[in-house]
Amino acid sequence: MVDVSQHELVPEHIPIEGAELDSVLEEYGLDRTDLPEITADDPALPDEAETGDVIKIVRDSRTADTSISYRLVVE
Amino acid sequence: MTEYDHVTDDIKAVVEDTELPRRLRRRVYDTIEGREGVSTEQADEIARAVEAEYLDARIEPLEPAGTVSAQSIGEPGTQMTMNTFHYAGVAEIDVTQGLPRLIELVDARKEPDTPMMTVYLEDEYAENREKAREVVWALEATKILALGDVSTNVADMVVRIDLNEETLLERWPTVDAAEPIAEEIAETIEDALGVDTRHQGMAIEFGPSEPSYRELLQLVEELREIVFKGIEDISRVVIRKEELDDGEEFVLYTEGSAFGDVLRIEGVDASRSTCNNIHEINEELGIEAAREAIINETIDTLREQGLDDVNVRHLMLVADIMTNEGTIESIGRHGISGSKDSVLARAAFEVTVNHLLDAAIHGESDDLNGIIENVIAGKPVSIGTGDVKLRMGSMETSPADD
Repeated sequence: MVDVSQHELVPEHIPIEGAELDSVLEEYGLDRTDLPEITADDPALPDEAETGDVIKIVRDSRTADTSISYRLVVE
Repeated sequence: MTEYDHVTDDIKAVVEDTELPRRLRRRVYDTIEGREGVSTEQADEIARAVEAEYLDARIEPLEPAGTVSAQSIGEPGTQMTMNTFHYAGVAEIDVTQGLPRLIELVDARKEPDTPMMTVYLEDEYAENREKAREVVWALEATKILALGDVSTNVADMVVRIDLNEETLLERWPTVDAAEPIAEEIAETIEDALGVDTRHQGMAIEFGPSEPSYRELLQLVEELREIVFKGIEDISRVVIRKEELDDGEEFVLYTEGSAFGDVLRIEGVDASRSTCNNIHEINEELGIEAAREAIINETIDTLREQGLDDVNVRHLMLVADIMTNEGTIESIGRHGISGSKDSVLARAAFEVTVNHLLDAAIHGESDDLNGIIENVIAGKPVSIGTGDVKLRMGSMETSPADD
């Protein structure tokens, strides 16, 4: 099987929860359903991620060193 | 933070006092650290200068970022070529360029006009031309005409194939003799056409079960379409030697794409190979990779036309919107514009009557929250100064207090 996470186009996907998640939502004044979405069958998702989880995505940014983004796992 | 030797508490205090975000603050610390012996006054000056630049570059609150992006991509679009084809990007492969390509990307077309892949190779496959050839033959669809001559004998009602021994050995590098390859080809023909074949040496013969001229020609037609080796969607592969910082490597460019299959082929570097179909990338690598691919493809398309002064942030915004739902959505009435909440905003985009009619049938209402609706209604729009409410006087100080 091909390890998708090794591809240079794929940024790091890290599931977050609890206090870290709360502080993110508070910082942006968002509900978790307001976040951009990622489908549960996305090949880049880590195995343990389930529908409803929030994934932290650490991209190599073109305009900054790295940029952090969040996506909600949906059906 | 004790990792800095040359950043004193005083310096830290002046830098922390600025409005700089964390990342830029770190950059300031790193620079001060690198210079060694920066005084507190100098550090203050540096921090103020960086802060001024930063605040200058920051977008104003209530700025219509989407509109600015649309204009910033739209204007260069008017200068792009209209003709679809031409230009052999790399290695004589025809790739759709210019405006048609840009439209294809933002429309999220399922299949690009000219699908192509860039296939990087691993280790010895990238260094050795013979090994690289092996991957080429595993990719490129090999049909019968590439392997030998086909002739029809109408008198005996047979199709005769004279295979070229050298070609067989070249295209099946893992097999030593041509005989077993010919046998394999004969079997493939039997399976695909449902006929019995006779083969001897490099010659294969077969014909229709009942003598029929039409059926004979039909068989030849079908024979030409059979893929004996490689991937059906890949019609041509070009091999190219490319300079690296530390040496050279062979890179393959393909006409046609089958991204998922190719990533699993031995010798292919699955961490660098790409294709120009954003849907295939979404399927194989996920939505984040698709987002990257949209940015790469759009900026490359613009750059190819000498329009590289378009700021990448505009293209990032487009890619963000297109991938926001976890799947690739097109800009336009079947995608983003068509899914707006406001009836008037949708009607203003395309097929006005249909949207108004549907809205009337379903009894939709419009809350007039967005920009377009309010432009239509002739009310202040909620961007820029239009969103600021002014209040005269104050609740706490009544006129009687003066």
